[in-house]
Parts: sequence; structure tokens; C-alpha cells
Amino acid sequence: MKLSIPAVLLALVLATLASPGSAHHGWSGNSAGDVEVTGTVVTEVRLAGAHGTMQIEDADGNVWDVTLAPGPRTHRSGLREDVIPVGAEVTVFGERNADPAVFEAKVRRVIWGDQTFDVYPPE
Amino acid sequence: MLEFLSWLEGSALAGFLRGLGIWTYGLLNLGHILGIASLFGAVLLLDLRLIGSWSSIPATQLIRPCVPVAAAGFLLAALSGLMMVTFNASEYHGNPFFYLKFPLIVAGLINVAVIQRLTAWRRAAQGQPLVSADRRVLAVFGAVSLLLWTGVIACGRMIGYW
Repeated sequence: MKLSIPAVLLALVLATLASPGSAHHGWSGNSAGDVEVTGTVVTEVRLAGAHGTMQIEDADGNVWDVTLAPGPRTHRSGLREDVIPVGAEVTVFGERNADPAVFEAKVRRVIWGDQTFDVYPPE
Repeated sequence: MLEFLSWLEGSALAGFLRGLGIWTYGLLNLGHILGIASLFGAVLLLDLRLIGSWSSIPATQLIRPCVPVAAAGFLLAALSGLMMVTFNASEYHGNPFFYLKFPLIVAGLINVAVIQRLTAWRRAAQGQPLVSADRRVLAVFGAVSLLLWTGVIACGRMIGYW
């Protein structure tokens, strides 16, 4: 079989496009294991952007960036922008950022009082 | 650079987009993909022709549809991409794929500007006969174009995995 230059280039292009697809988008940086943080809300839930976000301050005064699911999915879990007020105490469960100096976690579950929001429900 | 990204994140455009609802980012992402598909689809066909495929099809017949489709696709991808960046602009600081992507885009656009000034391109676009030196130079620019735009897309895709 004769391989033309265009065919080889096309194969290279396709190989590049088909490369790492196994990692869940955005979780690769959160491999420091499970984390549970209880704190007070300093920035309420925002659903704009690639993922929903909120900020909580733990008992040691560390402000955690909480990364939730994408906006529509977080919204569907019941965790809308106006639900949890600033100052409320919440507990979040998720995976901590791989960098120990960074207080950030990808969160699967948020508990506020008697309400549980499973933004990524357990399988 | 961080200053610029922070400014972008706090800009009126960013505030406006954030206020448009929870599906805004996803729809911008859709626009970005449609833009990339149009740009790269047209680029792929045209560049493969310049490299030497389908030599029985006159280049002018591919240049006519491919160039405007690629240009429109680029515009759509650039606008939607810029808007997506504003949401969390400062988070991209330090992302090597993000910082590699923009020089590659500039290189791709320079490649476009240069090739359109070549005599060989003008002959090809107007359907005039090409000499073998014309074919060689167009093949080189076509190959460079394909590599650059592939690099841009690869960087864009990898930004989210860094």
C-alpha cells in the first residue's frame, strides 16, 4: 500500500484529536483524596461559568473555593443561586485540590441544615 | 498577564454574560464547537488539496467555498471563546496550553495573510495554470496551516485538563 503525505498528515491529526479522553473533565487536578469541610458561606452559590462555585470559611479561617457541577446540573440538584445565604453553616464532601497549599475542592455533596444537595449523586 | 485576565473577569462583558442564566456558558461552548467545526473542516479540505490530494479538482473550486466558511468559523470560535474566557479569566493564568494557544492562533493568521499574497495562491484562486514551483510552495503553506490549526485545537482541548 502506498501511503500518501496527506494520508499520513490526516492520521496524525486524528491521532492528536483522539488522545486523552479518559479523565473526567477537570477532576485530574483534584486527586488529593476525599475531603469534608464544614464552614460558613462567604460567597454564595454562583452558577455562571463552566462550573458552579461558592466559597466557605472553615474554623481555622481558611477560605475554600468550592467547585460544584456545571450550572444546569447543580441547579437540578436543588442548589440554586438564592438558596443558601451568606453566613450559613454548610458541610461539603468532595475531592481536595492536589496542591496542598490550595484550599479548593471539587464537591459532590453539600449539606445545609436538614437539606442535602447531591450535585454528583453517589453511584 | 494576570492583571489583564483579572480585568477581563471583572469587565462589563463578563458581568453581563454571568447574568444571562445557567445555560449561557454551555451555549457559548456550543458556538465554539460549531465555529471550530466550520473552521477546521474547511481548513482540512483546502489544505489537503494544497498538499496534493484530489488534484483533479481545480484548487479554485475549493478555495471559493472553503475560505469564507473558514473565516466565518474563525469569527464564531473567536467571539464565543473570548466570552467563555471572561467567566473565570484569572483561572487560566499559569495554564501552559492557554498561553501556547494564542501564539499558535497568531501564527495561523499570519500564515493566512502570507499565503494570500503569494503569486501561486493568486493563480490558484483565479483558476490559472500552476507551475510545479507554485504547487510546492502551496503544499508547504498548506501543511504548515494544518499543523498550526491542529495545534490550536489540541491546546484548546487540553486547557481543561491541566
